Amino acid sequence: MADNGSSSTSAVLSLNKFSNLECKNLHDYLRTRPQNILEKLYNHPTICLAVYRELPELARQYVIRILFVEQPVPQAVVASWGSQAFSKEHVYVSKVLSELSVWQEASIPGGLLGWILSPTFKKNLKITLLGGGKPWSMSSALDTDNKARDVAFLDSYSLERWECVLHYMVGSQQQEGISADAVRILLHAGLMKRDEEDGSPVITRQGFQFLLLDRHAQVWHFILQYLDTVEQRGLDLVECLTFLFQLSFSTLGKDYSTEGMSQGLLVFLQHLREFGLVYQRKRKAGRFYPTRLAINITSSAANKSAPVLDDDTHKGYIVVETNYRVYAYTDSNLQVALISLFTELMYRFPNLVVGVITRESVRQALRGGITADQIIGYLKQHAHEQMLQDSRNPLPPTVVDQIKLWELERNRLTYQEGVLYSQFLSQADYNVLKEYAQTNGHLIWSHKEKRTLVINKCAHDDVKKFWKRYSKGS
Amino acid sequence: MKMNNIELPAEQTPEFSSVDETSLIVVIFDSNPGQKLLRDNPHILTHCLDSIIAFSNSHLMQKAQNKLAVMACHSKKSEFIFPGSGKPLDVRQIDGQYETFTLVEKTIKQNLAKHLAGESPMLNTESLLAGAIAMALCYIARLQRSKSPGCMLNSRILVVTGSSDSAMQYMNYMNVFFTAQKQNVVIDVCALDQHLSLLQQGCDITGGLYLKIPQLQGLLQYLLWVFLPEPPIRQKLVLPPPAKVDYRAACFCHRELIDIGYVCSVCLSIFCKFSPICTTCHTVFKIPPLAVKAKKKKIKL
Amino acid sequence: MDEDDPKEYRWETGYEKTWEAIKEDDEGFLEASIADIIQRAKRKRQSKKVYGTKLGMMRHLYVILDCSESMSSQDLKPTRLICSLKLLEGFMEEFFDQNPISQIGVIIMHNKRAEKIMNLAGNARKHIKSLKNLNKTTLVGEPSLQNGLEMALKSLKSLPTHASREILIIMGSLTTCDPSDINSTIESLKKEGIRCSVIGLAAEVYICKLLADKTGGVYNVILDDSHFKDLLYQQIDPPPAACGQESNLIKMGFPHQMAVEGTEEPLTMCMCHVDSIDEGSKLTTGGYYCPQCYSKYCELPVECRACGLTLVSAPHLARSYHHLFPAMNYKEFAYENQAEICSGCQKQFTENEKEVYKCPNCNNYFCIDCDIFVHETLHTCPGCATNSSTFQLTQTG
Repeated sequence: MADNGSSSTSAVLSLNKFSNLECKNLHDYLRTRPQNILEKLYNHPTICLAVYRELPELARQYVIRILFVEQPVPQAVVASWGSQAFSKEHVYVSKVLSELSVWQEASIPGGLLGWILSPTFKKNLKITLLGGGKPWSMSSALDTDNKARDVAFLDSYSLERWECVLHYMVGSQQQEGISADAVRILLHAGLMKRDEEDGSPVITRQGFQFLLLDRHAQVWHFILQYLDTVEQRGLDLVECLTFLFQLSFSTLGKDYSTEGMSQGLLVFLQHLREFGLVYQRKRKAGRFYPTRLAINITSSAANKSAPVLDDDTHKGYIVVETNYRVYAYTDSNLQVALISLFTELMYRFPNLVVGVITRESVRQALRGGITADQIIGYLKQHAHEQMLQDSRNPLPPTVVDQIKLWELERNRLTYQEGVLYSQFLSQADYNVLKEYAQTNGHLIWSHKEKRTLVINKCAHDDVKKFWKRYSKGS
Repeated sequence: MKMNNIELPAEQTPEFSSVDETSLIVVIFDSNPGQKLLRDNPHILTHCLDSIIAFSNSHLMQKAQNKLAVMACHSKKSEFIFPGSGKPLDVRQIDGQYETFTLVEKTIKQNLAKHLAGESPMLNTESLLAGAIAMALCYIARLQRSKSPGCMLNSRILVVTGSSDSAMQYMNYMNVFFTAQKQNVVIDVCALDQHLSLLQQGCDITGGLYLKIPQLQGLLQYLLWVFLPEPPIRQKLVLPPPAKVDYRAACFCHRELIDIGYVCSVCLSIFCKFSPICTTCHTVFKIPPLAVKAKKKKIKL
Repeated sequence: MDEDDPKEYRWETGYEKTWEAIKEDDEGFLEASIADIIQRAKRKRQSKKVYGTKLGMMRHLYVILDCSESMSSQDLKPTRLICSLKLLEGFMEEFFDQNPISQIGVIIMHNKRAEKIMNLAGNARKHIKSLKNLNKTTLVGEPSLQNGLEMALKSLKSLPTHASREILIIMGSLTTCDPSDINSTIESLKKEGIRCSVIGLAAEVYICKLLADKTGGVYNVILDDSHFKDLLYQQIDPPPAACGQESNLIKMGFPHQMAVEGTEEPLTMCMCHVDSIDEGSKLTTGGYYCPQCYSKYCELPVECRACGLTLVSAPHLARSYHHLFPAMNYKEFAYENQAEICSGCQKQFTENEKEVYKCPNCNNYFCIDCDIFVHETLHTCPGCATNSSTFQLTQTG
């Protein structure tokens, strides 16, 4: 009796061989912090405000409803606030609130379970909303700056600083280099790696993905990576985070005082200055201006970058036509380099680049580890004003769908490890084994005429045992 | 190995629809000192104002891109008290409150004080809410015009008032309601003192919420519970159900609600019984035999 | 044709240098200049609205649509017919929004025949549905203007005299093929006081001009699709009452939904869907009950099928009030720091402001955008409406 010739067939090919760039939002970040840090953070009104704004819509309503309630509210009552049709969302929202320890379970006399807001969180959110408590650290009074900077200046300053970092990443040498500190962060974040030969930093696939993010998401991701290293530098994480969020909730175009800031914070400030998050005329100026990069820094995590009303100057430059042509009105090498990641460039003029999106060019990008969503996101991000007239679909739907299909095309095959069973002596044997494998859900593939089966690898032992028992019995 | 059909990859994390658009709320606060509620007890004004400021700031707290405007409505003049005209105040933090919120509070209080000081001693009890809504609609229309392309702006108007609505403003009310409906502006009404049937119609027409609050003490809680959620989230929450609105017409002659009436073909005035001349447009009607018969029938009813 | 007709043929009017009106702005863009011209045109039309004229509020309008071969021409995209139907859909919606107690009927002309697609009725949804079906009409032959007019005339004749009776013709063809003398038809239309307006899609035609002139309508030829829309939408405002039109008091019912407190409403069937095939009548609670015969309807306005009473709600009537009591026209002034901000939208007036607009009633100043918004959409002057000494003037005088 010929036993099952067990030859392990398919090789494993993990599609996630290369890890993709992982963008955390504030919640993911906080969730991974230890409980005591969370509690410490909630001592600061700014953090409470930032956390509140990042909560899901429904959660925000829940929090505001019980903000002024002193006793725990029965869970059944909270559940009754949401309508039946959205009960799934209610469960999800409750989970988020618990995970972030915004609220805690508390028992109510009478044996019911209730929710109560974390006292620290509640106290400090109230302070943010209604006042009280101590002023934030950077708001000491200042006499008017005789060289006050306006918003336009700050914008161009921050843009220049940030582009400097990006330019360094793609290695285009049109800007001066960046500090060793920034390079260390880039390396730490895995956005760049040391070249194996000469040890100079080169961009990684995550780096390319990073470049395709929108400005806000880039800053946020970068800062998170920076915060990871903050403790190695001997800075206090809580202090830095608090300061970061204070910046985030400051007013653009206004100056703030450095008075009373600790030595550590001053170091932190200098780092932020390098990346363009704040502007300082001189190191010892005693005052600084937050820039647009720092304002509402967390709102990046809301992933869809909704253009802000009136005060945001939207500067899109890409036009995509239904014939897959891409026109980019730009003179920046960086932007051209980014576009060429997924398009085939055709013409280049001083202020305009014309390219075409082809299957090959997109597959090239996909092979490089860029996802279709990232390509589409980038095009949408920088869509020209003309494209935004139809506010819902700034890009031609055909192009969007096609790019997605090109991506799916690569994912047509899924790989599973299996064991081949063949050379059954009789059809009956084959049938018995097939029946058994099928009922247990181990069968991957079978062929009746050839009497061959492929069984899930992890079930191999089990099936083998069954076969032994069966053949003994017969 | 197995071939898969092409299908879109499933989302891993639960992605619940959320509104990422800018949301503008224009609060119209009826601060007319002539209204009954305030004449009886002037201290209520401070209480209401504090609640409204807290509510406004809660709205701004929801999302970074949210926008706010607050108006004060009187009988002679209505004004925007936030953002006021001219340069914004230079505000520095005095306590732990978010700077923007401090600015809102200071600006509102200062401008309202200015507005009240300008009020003539001759008190008029009727607050011209329809006019204030008209101004708010102009303001919203401007923001809609000037917004950058691709940006979505959801606007709504919240009216907080203790005065009654009079039929004198009927036409203005109807004009603003229909305009709001056309512009997709939701009108919410929070009645402090009396039931407001006209404004309730406005809420119904524009899809807003109407609430006559049972007790003034809890004003802030009512505002936060009922009016803070934006219209798109309201369907997810259990909120007071819309009351059935009485759309019956009132006749122009006696101001009484009628079931069957006569309408002038020229000016559409409504009368409860047949008259040979229209009191509004002075048209003379011929008396058709049909109308007389109909009249008889009506008496029978 | 009248000798003193002010509107000559285009080629007879003076040499217009239309291009000179367009000027480049500082950055060399034309858009600002064009937007300016459009706004000016809007204002001009607005200022023509005279306060206090008697209007025909209860309108009965027949839309006669050319469905002849010429409508397949592609000078409007995608074709003349599809473009017209698309615009008509929007028109219908807007028309019923602004004239809630009015009625529209649709007649098409093709192959020398007229065919009634919709009888006079007041339901926008049904109209739009029937318009959508017209997409597939075969466009054959020549139209017959006379047949179309006669068919509309026959139906409009029987209406009570207080109704405003109108015909709107959308004509793609340059010819008409009529069974007898069309002049006699025009005469009888004139006698009945039926106002006929024509929108030409090709070129000016004498007979159309004559028809419009005689019956007090307007005749226009479109320049492009946006002009077409503009002309069509001008028909939404109710015309002045025809001189032969009589006034009358019309009996109407005002149904209300109010259920008796605390009781469940019984399940009932509505009259509107009782005989429709595609969406049958369902048992529902709530609805509007005719105060005369207690038949139920799901929506208003409607004419009661049982007793013929017109059922409306007060806001329906109120929707038309602004035609009768429009907001006062503002006066234009050159900007000389009269005011700091616009009294409507609160816009800060800057040095760039060329003109400001003043309400003669409340003496407040407005920007051009608010001027247009107030008169086109809002119909209430925000300045007047916020002051107790002026808020009612708009209604009485």
